[in-house]
Amino acid sequence: MISRIVRYVVLGLLGIFWLLPIYLLLANASKSNGSFSGTQLWSAGNFADFWSNVIAVFTTTDIGSGLGASTIYAIVAPVIAVVLGAFVGFAVIVLKLKHGFVWFFVVFCGTVFPIQMMVIPWFSFSANTGLYDTIVGMIIIYSIVALPFSAFVMRNFFSGISESVFEASVVDGANVWQIFRRIYLPMSVSALVVVFILQATWVWNDFLLSLILTQSTARPVMPLLNALQGTEGGGPGYTVTLTAALLVSLPTAALFLFTQRFFQKGLALGQY
Amino acid sequence: MTSSNPMRHQRAAWAFMGPGVLLVLLAMYIPVVYTIYLSLTDYTGLGTPNFIGLQNYVTMFRDPAFLTSLMNTAIWVVGTLVVPVGMGLLVAYLTFGLKGGSWLRIPFLIPYALSGVAIGVVFNFIFQNGGALSQALTFLGVPGAQTHWLEVAPLNTVVMILASSWQGIGVNALLFVVGLQSIPKEPLEAARIDGASGWRLFTTMVWPMLRPSTTIVVGLSIVNSLKTFDIVETMTQGGPNRVSETLGVTMYTDTFQSDQYGLGSAVAILLTIITVAASVIYLRRQLTIGDASGKGEVAEA
Repeated sequence: MISRIVRYVVLGLLGIFWLLPIYLLLANASKSNGSFSGTQLWSAGNFADFWSNVIAVFTTTDIGSGLGASTIYAIVAPVIAVVLGAFVGFAVIVLKLKHGFVWFFVVFCGTVFPIQMMVIPWFSFSANTGLYDTIVGMIIIYSIVALPFSAFVMRNFFSGISESVFEASVVDGANVWQIFRRIYLPMSVSALVVVFILQATWVWNDFLLSLILTQSTARPVMPLLNALQGTEGGGPGYTVTLTAALLVSLPTAALFLFTQRFFQKGLALGQY
Repeated sequence: MTSSNPMRHQRAAWAFMGPGVLLVLLAMYIPVVYTIYLSLTDYTGLGTPNFIGLQNYVTMFRDPAFLTSLMNTAIWVVGTLVVPVGMGLLVAYLTFGLKGGSWLRIPFLIPYALSGVAIGVVFNFIFQNGGALSQALTFLGVPGAQTHWLEVAPLNTVVMILASSWQGIGVNALLFVVGLQSIPKEPLEAARIDGASGWRLFTTMVWPMLRPSTTIVVGLSIVNSLKTFDIVETMTQGGPNRVSETLGVTMYTDTFQSDQYGLGSAVAILLTIITVAASVIYLRRQLTIGDASGKGEVAEA
């Protein structure tokens, strides 16, 4: 009994301590630059100042356009990766591609290399082909980076579906594409969603790739947010920067809250 | 006979497999090979690369910034194993089987929704000179308010590890909870009846049976900490004077700030070798998941 109380107390105190940075973020995103004297960082703010900071984020910084770019990347690239990954899983497990595991392994090993190992050629290539700092270029690169992991999850998923499903469909006269499109894809919605959520979060939070492969037009939120910090003096000031940090975190936080169950499944798969 | 011999579908199989294999070969394997080649040249981003043998590797290992970065990366790996893994296990163990336990884990999971850059911004605000931490220390009358948290090595690396731990603990706790749930109840009950409890119960029974989870958490933590980039680039840019760089930051700085593409490639290769070696620990397990133990894992979702 006593140990139970001790556990509650320890967890409660630790939990409050853990929320302090979140409190500081909220409190100071709700102060105006004027009242933000730099000496009252722990006092609470107010909603009116928060709202004017939100407006400042959209009117005085590039975060608004970055949110647009990030949204496109975080939706389109994971969809492409999920579909291509499902193709791979379907070919290896259901269609029993000859030496399928070897080819699957070739695809899967793409997750093993750190991005640093590939980013210089990507940078040179995109600069030479005009894909540098374009929406299309970023979609292509995010899709490819996300592909090996989707292939991995989809292969695992398909290996849990009975072979008789495929055999029965063939007997019924369906061709391979119909079997994929009408039977396997609908069956695997839950796995597709897991992959989509994980990859969308990854793309949204990406900093390294977008820092190197974009400059202005195609630049998503994370490098833009980082750049707000360096511009103290002539920049938007810390309260607006913190507000921006809060705003760009909301989509992933919402996704995470509404799909916590999926997240847990995905986490057990190991990538994140 | 309509026997559905799958071998009849080889051409269709390649139609499905082809795009994925082709994209990965073209966009990942060729760049990897090209990076290896670049590491043997003096490429500066302009003009043609000249072959200079292993010169970049010699330069790299003589470069004090690189050696500091290597050391910092080692600190990151050790720090990430001690703090987020250890505390993740603690939180998981404390909340497991406790009424309302999943609610008590929420404060630790909230930071997971933040990106590395957002965390960097928040913790810059906390650790900067005269920032939130200094003010709190002054208010509480605790010495240390004048400390320059982000300007002295290795203190700045330690501080950034703590910032990253703030994010990582919730996920590790979640993974450990999944592991704890999969432990069969009977042996634990038997041990309890035999009088084992608390620390002894944990070390002799729970810890050994948690091994599959521990392998994943430790493997992931090592690999992710080796690749550390976002938080360092956001908080200190590896500075001041390159004292807080990690290998990921050094690669970026050498290549894209100093235009030493050859040297940057050499750093990337070293980082890759270390990361791949570490990945093997949990990769083998990951690949077997699909064949045996974890078959239904995604299917249930």
